[in-house]
Parts: sequence; structure tokens; C-alpha cells
Amino acid sequence: MSTPALELLKVKKTIRNKEIIKGLDFTVNKGEVFGFIGPNGAGKTTTIRMIVGLMKLTEGDIRILGNSIKSNFKGAIEKVGAIVENPELYPYMTGWQNLKHYARMFPNITDERIKEVVSIVKMEKPIHQKVKRYSLGMRQRLGIAQAILHKPAVLILDEPTNGLDPAGIREIRQYIRKLAKEEEIAVIISSHLLSEIEQMCDRIGIIKNGELIAIQDVHESNEGEQKTNNVPILLDAHPIEKAEEIIQTTFQIEVQKREGFLSFQSEREQIPSIIQSLVQQDISIYQVATSKTTLEDKFFDLIGENTIE
Amino acid sequence: MSNFLKLIYNEVLKIFIKKSTWIMFALLAIILVGFAFLNNTLVEEYTKDNWKDKLHQENMELQKELDEAKEGSDDFFKEFALSEIERNNYHIEHDIMPLQNGAWSFAHDGSTILGLVSMFTIIIAAGIVANEFNHGTIKLLLIRPIQRSTILLSKYLTVLLFGLFTTIILLFLSLGIGAIFFGIEEMPQIVLEQQDGFTHVSLIKETILKYSYYFVNVIIFATLAFMISVLFRSNALAIGVSIFLLLTGGAIVQFLSDREWAKYILFANTNLKQYANGSPPFEGMTLSFSITVLAVYYLIFITLTWFSFTKRDVAGT
Ligand SMILES: Nc1ncnc2c1ncn2[C@@H]1O[C@H](COP(=O)(O)OP(=O)(O)OP(=O)(O)O)[C@@H](O)[C@H]1O
Ligand SMILES: [Mg+2]
Repeated sequence: MSTPALELLKVKKTIRNKEIIKGLDFTVNKGEVFGFIGPNGAGKTTTIRMIVGLMKLTEGDIRILGNSIKSNFKGAIEKVGAIVENPELYPYMTGWQNLKHYARMFPNITDERIKEVVSIVKMEKPIHQKVKRYSLGMRQRLGIAQAILHKPAVLILDEPTNGLDPAGIREIRQYIRKLAKEEEIAVIISSHLLSEIEQMCDRIGIIKNGELIAIQDVHESNEGEQKTNNVPILLDAHPIEKAEEIIQTTFQIEVQKREGFLSFQSEREQIPSIIQSLVQQDISIYQVATSKTTLEDKFFDLIGENTIE
Repeated sequence: MSNFLKLIYNEVLKIFIKKSTWIMFALLAIILVGFAFLNNTLVEEYTKDNWKDKLHQENMELQKELDEAKEGSDDFFKEFALSEIERNNYHIEHDIMPLQNGAWSFAHDGSTILGLVSMFTIIIAAGIVANEFNHGTIKLLLIRPIQRSTILLSKYLTVLLFGLFTTIILLFLSLGIGAIFFGIEEMPQIVLEQQDGFTHVSLIKETILKYSYYFVNVIIFATLAFMISVLFRSNALAIGVSIFLLLTGGAIVQFLSDREWAKYILFANTNLKQYANGSPPFEGMTLSFSITVLAVYYLIFITLTWFSFTKRDVAGT
């Protein structure tokens, strides 16, 4: 197996005697998109600041393609591109001047590469305007442009969807998937909105109060539940009491009433026979739906109430 | 371009892309033109033919006032008058015409606004790190394959370059404006008073020396402002404290001049020209003493700056 793109090894951070990160331990592989989800104050930005060397680790280590950020900063960081918190650029320079500025901090980035990056984030038009006249979404795009300028192996985006319109989010989603697949880049995206990044992630790590409380494989979770014996079903039927009784007595299934629907779980194979027997007993069926428990539900189950400590 | 030169280029670019920087240079030019107008109207002109007569006449008038002055009264005037008479005699004896308006004498007088060069360099030094923190751009600056100390060095050297550039600009501006208003003198000489009487040197040499010695002051104040801005990550604090000390440093030394330790105050040592001509503020101060004091302060400033910039976390903005 090749070296993972990013490894966090028992990373801890204490600021003023307060343990903010309590031992993070995870790995992101090449070509993988890792979603880093957690409520406000969970420690996402703090973790990202440690990965890019802005903050020192109190304990543990972080390796990028095997290079420790502590002992080999240059070797590690040259393979990283990042936006940390807001995409803050020089407001008194144009987008192009900003990109040139960062390009000068690497050995050889050509103007052609900068143009390429500008077209990737679709910023050709306003690139020669001063950044102070940019909208938040435009700054976000420019932020992404500077992050991928040097073709990093690890791309870290702290809330990149913040300020983007739906079209912008879709573009980023597509572009990130493309980067991960075609260039084998490992992408770490933080967000507190699961729904926004769920579709572009391969795996999701959920962080709360400085601890990783779950890592979830996105695609597995959906397919996995489809195959299980208990498919959650919502049924809109009339008269509802009669339907409830039939299902409970005939099929020995526990049924609940929820917002005018009947809600129960059954085996997939059993669904047609349930409907059949309802129809035979003169029940009108208006709608049958299998309700997926989404990651979002899981997310809330795991996190519970967000108490900011 | 080497990688380090590219860093310097970036820093210089960020300074000169701002209009406020250009306003500083415009201000220098405006002040100098103002001076030139004033000089044009105020200063009496000696001519090649009459300057000796005029000096004789001045001496006679001064002597007359001296004779009339009562015994014991107004010592200050007496001292001044005697010294003026002696100076005039020196001019006559050595056949050195008193300074006339001209590019070099204007540039020599222009050195009185060298304080503005320190002030402008303080403003740049205070902003070069703190502004990156204010804009949040420090985060994107430090996540490049460049050590923090290298970034710091590129910024510090840029500040010194700016100070040097501004000093040179002031010299050339005042020479240029002086030349336009008054023309350029031929082989001007300046008579200087020293502890053991008068002497004369080339005005060109003296002017360049004056600007060069002053650069020590520029370096010290730039380093001070740079340190404060790195330690406190605040532009305003660094500008405020440094300019306050620039303006009051001399007065502070004067105020504490009866204390033994006052000679160890930074501002008692920044003017190294006092050893070439003029007299140091404290008994027993020498050039090497001042250089040692400056070196100690300088090392402390640089070390604190370096530690703060390279070791501290870049946490929330
Ligand atoms: N410089 C600091 N000093 C003290 N505490 C800090 C500092 N920076 C962050 N914290 C604390 O660390 C915790 C994690 O903050 P962090 O910014 O990493 O959260 P986050 O997950 O990025 O939240 P958000 O979704 O709001 O961006 C918070 O409780 C915060 O109060
Ligand atoms: Mg955050």
C-alpha cells in the first residue's frame, strides 16, 4: 500500500490549559475526498491550522505523504494547498496580482499555469479587478485558485462552500471530484453543513468537542441500508386505523403514526404482499415511500445537542 | 530571479502598489518646494565681490553691540556674538565665501527633514507584518515551502531598503529642487565649529555624511517599529509608540540627563555624527561606546522579533 496522503497521529492541541483537540487520529488516502464535519467550535479550523503548520501541535504528529509537518515543514507543506477559514487575499491588488504574488513563492509556476487555474475557477472576467470589489463567492473562487496553483497532493478547504451560490457549489463539487479522480489529489473539506458536501465526499469524519466521534463511508452507508432486512416505509392510506390494524395483526409488524402517515419497517420482499392485502381489504393507498435515513439524521443522532463549551 | 529576491520583490510590490506610499514621496517634494520658496525670499545674498566687506561690516556691528552690552549681562548673546565674529574671520582668512543658496547647501539644509524619512520608514515597518495579520493574508503567506524566518528576513530587509531608498530620494529631491531654484554651486565649502575651533570641509562631503549618519537613526527606529508590530501584531500601536519615541527621544534624554545611566538610553546614542563634529550629551561617551549600546539594543530587538514571529501560533484572526 502506498503512503497515505495525510495522516494525523494522536494529534492534540491545548490552548491556555484548555484541551481543544483531544487526540485526532485519521488518514486520508490519495484520490479520496474526506469531509470534515462538525458544529461550530468543534475544532475543524484548529485542526486545519495544525495541518498547514500555522499552529504547533501540543502532542502527536501530522504527516503529508510521509513528511512530518514538525520535522520537515518544507517537504510537507510544498504538497499542500489550502484555504483556512475565509479566503483572505490582498484587497488592494487584482486577482491576477494576488495569484502572481503567491506564484512567486514557489520555484516555477508559469503564467500559463496561472491562466489555467483562473479558467478552472471560471474567473477570467474579473481577474484584473481589485479584490476589494469582489463578492464573497468570487473571493472563494480566487482562494481555491491560489490553493491549487502549485498542483498540491493534498488540498485542504475550510468551508469552501461558504458564500457560494448553488451553481457555484455544484461547480466546486464537480471540480473537486475531478481533481480527486484524475490527479489523485486527497481533498479535505470542512463544513458544518453536511448536505452541502455529502455528495462530493467519499468519507465523512464527524468531529465534536475536539474528538472524532465517527467516520462514515458515504456510499456504503446508503447502499448498506438498502440491503438490510429492515426498510423504513412510509404509507399514506385511508382509512388509516384499519390499515394500521391489518399490518400489525397480519404481518406482526410494529406500526407508528407520524404526521398522517403510517411508519414501519419491513423486509423488502414483503412489501408487495403488504400492499396487496391492504388493497384486498378495501384500503385506499395514496402513497408508499421508502424513507432513507440520511446521513443528516445520523449526523444529528451522533452529535445531539450542540453545546458550545 | 532567485527565490529570495522574489520574496523581496513581493514585499516591495505590496508597498508601492498602495497610493499612501506615493503620498509620502509627494509630501517630501511639496515640503522641499515650500522651503525653496521661503529661501528665495528670506535669505540675503552675498556676492563674489562684496562678501568680505559684508562680513567685516557684520563683525563691526557685532563688536559695537558687544561693547555696549553691560558687564555680566546676557552671557548667551556675548557667546554667540564672539563665536560669530570668529567664524566670519575664519571665512575671510581662508577665503571661503559663506554658503550661498544652491543645490548642495539646499540639500544640506534639507537634512533637517530627515526625521520624516524615519517617520515614513516607521509607518512601512509597522505595517509590513501587522497588515498581513489584519487582512488575514498571513495564513496564505506562511503555508508556502518557505521557512518563517526567511519570510521575516525578506520583510525586514525590505523595510531597510525602503529607508535607504527614501533617504536617497530626499537627497536627490533636495538637490534637484535646489538646482532648479538656485543652480548648482562650484566646489562649495562649509565652515564647521568644533571643540577646538573652526575648520572647513567640502559641503558635498559634509552633506553626504549627514545623510549617511542619519541612516543609523532610520535603521534603529525601523527595527523598533518592526519589533512592536510583530510582538503585538498591531500596526497602530507600532506606529504610535515609535513615532512618539522618535519625537520625544531627545527630550527624554535631556530630562534624565542628571542620571548616571541616562547615557545608556537608546536615543542618547543614535546620533553618531556627534562624535565627528559636535559634542556628545554625556561626559565620557565615545563612538565605540555608542556603537556597543546600539548593538545591544539592536540584538535584543531582532531576537525578540525573530522568536515572536517564528515560534508563535497564528491563531484566530
Ligand atoms: N486562539 C484561541 N484561543 C483560545 N481558544 C481558541 C482559539 N482558537 C480557537 N479556540 C477554541 O477552539 C475551539 C475550536 O475552534 P475552531 O475554530 O477550530 O472551530 P470550528 O470547528 O472551525 O468552528 P466553526 O464551524 O465555527 O468554524 C473553540 O472552542 C474555540 O473557542
Ligand atoms: Mg472554522
